[in-house]
Amino acid sequence: MTAVTVSRTAGRARVGAGSPTGSSTGKAAQERRRRRAAFWFLLPDSLGLLVFVVVPMILAVVLGFFRMDGFGSFQFIGLGNYTRMAGDPQFWSSVRITLLYLVGVVPAIFVVGLALALLVQQRIPFVGAIRSALFVPYVISLVVVAMVWEFMLSERTGVVSRLLGAVGMDDLAFLGEPSLALGTVVVITVWFQMGYYMVIFLAGLQDIPGEYYEAARIDGANAWQRFRTITLPLLRPTSFFVVITATVSVITGGLDLVFVLTGGGPAGSTTLLIFYVYEQAFLFGELGYAAAIGSVLVVVMLAWSALMFAVTRGGRFDND
Amino acid sequence: MSSRHISRRDALRLGAAAAGGLGLAWATAGCAPGTRGAAGPMQFWQQYAPAPQQDPNLVAQSQWFLDATRRWADAGERPVDMVYIPAYTDPTNTRLTTAFASGSGPDLFLISPGDFLRYYNGGVLTDLTPYLTQEAIDDFYPDALATRTVDDKIYGLPMEQEPLAIFYDVPAFEGAGLAEGDLPTTWEDLLELGRRLTGGQRAGLVLDTTPSYYQNFTFYPWVWQGGGDVVDPVTQRPAIASDAGVRALGLFRDAVLSGASPRTLPAGGDLVGAFSNGYAAMWQTGVWQVEAMRQNAPDHPYGIFRLPAPAGGESVTALGGWAWVVNSRGRDPESAARFAVEVMGSMSQESIGAAVEWNGVAKGNVPARRSVTEAIGNSGAFESPVLQQFRDEILPTGRGEPRYPPVIYKAVSNAIQNSMLGGADPRQQAETAQAAIDSYLETYEGGTLL
Repeated sequence: MTAVTVSRTAGRARVGAGSPTGSSTGKAAQERRRRRAAFWFLLPDSLGLLVFVVVPMILAVVLGFFRMDGFGSFQFIGLGNYTRMAGDPQFWSSVRITLLYLVGVVPAIFVVGLALALLVQQRIPFVGAIRSALFVPYVISLVVVAMVWEFMLSERTGVVSRLLGAVGMDDLAFLGEPSLALGTVVVITVWFQMGYYMVIFLAGLQDIPGEYYEAARIDGANAWQRFRTITLPLLRPTSFFVVITATVSVITGGLDLVFVLTGGGPAGSTTLLIFYVYEQAFLFGELGYAAAIGSVLVVVMLAWSALMFAVTRGGRFDND
Repeated sequence: MSSRHISRRDALRLGAAAAGGLGLAWATAGCAPGTRGAAGPMQFWQQYAPAPQQDPNLVAQSQWFLDATRRWADAGERPVDMVYIPAYTDPTNTRLTTAFASGSGPDLFLISPGDFLRYYNGGVLTDLTPYLTQEAIDDFYPDALATRTVDDKIYGLPMEQEPLAIFYDVPAFEGAGLAEGDLPTTWEDLLELGRRLTGGQRAGLVLDTTPSYYQNFTFYPWVWQGGGDVVDPVTQRPAIASDAGVRALGLFRDAVLSGASPRTLPAGGDLVGAFSNGYAAMWQTGVWQVEAMRQNAPDHPYGIFRLPAPAGGESVTALGGWAWVVNSRGRDPESAARFAVEVMGSMSQESIGAAVEWNGVAKGNVPARRSVTEAIGNSGAFESPVLQQFRDEILPTGRGEPRYPPVIYKAVSNAIQNSMLGGADPRQQAETAQAAIDSYLETYEGGTLL
């Protein structure tokens, strides 16, 4: 029988076993070992990123230069997909709708998330339960969220219609009226994501030292002044993170919600760019065109992130 | 007894080696062409394979397929595995698309007419004609076979014909003091009745509202009724901007604007729930709802009537239904084609019997073959007067669901959506669709558009 034990001191013992002349050599060896260990620890994640993110991204960019029929036939068309995109009215329509969605969702998420964080930061009864309740929508599948809202907003029979019926507005078709559908999707998106951003803001708020507020109170600052001069400035790193992640999630997300709620309708009013990409890829079999649009989306998001980093000096927010 | 120490470095190496080994095994298992086994059973992708559900009707349909594959395997032929694909009937389902794009499509799969040309033009459908006898070909109703045939070659075997009609809720009619004699026969009557029956929580006339292949399917017969078409089957040129096309778009727009039809589907699109709860009075839908009503609301009184025609037009309906097709790039197209023909297109008593079981019992819908219609008669599911009405009165007015490529589908879908829910001018929408289709057809190469 062979006893196998893992020696916790083996490595260190060997390090210490160097010659008297080898102090610097020992440090170098230790550094090499640390680097090697770091390499092995990082390897699984890096491989995962490489295989599941980097390689597909490169392939998608390459695919954007081909016309594919979806059955294994490829034809190199250079910038053909990109010139087609420039003249595709439905592409531009979906860009416009996505921008409206973005403008509707990101500020709302910011305001609602921060407001909720300020609320649940207070010492109020059952605050733990309230925080959990507000976070629950985020852990529910978006498809389920969409189905629940679809029933709630159902024309004439949904609970919302019945409530509005009390004021004579029972025939509003929130998901069937082009002027209402996108706004409805915005509201549902904010409802779904507010808990997540509330938690992010809460973490940011808890990092602000209480002494600042105490000093401000002593100086006679009211609640609004404390919020404007202490909370908001010190929340800048968190705000930066929220704006970046919310923007990315809005541009690349919403597919499941739109898919279940409206199918891109009514009259194309909820055809977000990501839905248009999906439609091109899986309904039309235009995988090359869809990849080209996807590549443009990535470039837009990279540009947006770069801009934000530039404006905020790398997200550090220091004044020196 | 000896003792051996393992250093952290050794532990790391061991861990890395194990992870590497597992990764390699995973990669080779996932990427190797033999994953599905070149010599293994063939795969049949569809929505009827056994799935984790208990609905007795669906279980019976699954069992029908299992019986067919068992008989085939028992005869010493290459076995066929049924593969359940969730949401298979959704044309945007990614499974088939990605499988074919990566060269690993199933050996057999089910296809709806709307999707036919996408696969035919991709060159992945097997010509089944050599495996069929002329007698068997003649046994199929021409309209059922036409949209699966290109240049006299048959690429798909239909399991059924699914006509559209208007279902109506008897209690809603009775509550409004209406009787069978008041059923509408013209578009004007239909909209008038829709308005009259709308009120409270009830929608008068439900037309499909979600942009999809299905909405287009429900729209086509209204165009045909006025003598129009989306694409002229003879000249292969777009025809949606004809008066008939404009009038059909106008019908959908007027239905919503006049308040006869809702902007969204009541009860989440569930006819049974809508009728049972008084949420809808009339609904344009298909024969498959007969079985749904029988299973879920057997005592609820309802009826059907044919799609009303415009002034001077004739009632025409669209015939849907699924067909079996064989992947020409599958592992054994010859064996798969023989299997498809043996089950769906042979004149053997076994084949006809299987179809009788499918149309007359398990699925309860209109057969695609004359011999099967005769064998069923008024037995089984066809004891239902509603199914008899579908077969005897509505089927003869039917025309196969068109097989338009996605670009044409989208042009028509935009026109319907913009007219119906966006309140846009139907003529302008028809002309926009016509221009888009015209531009597409300039360079279109593929199967005939029917």
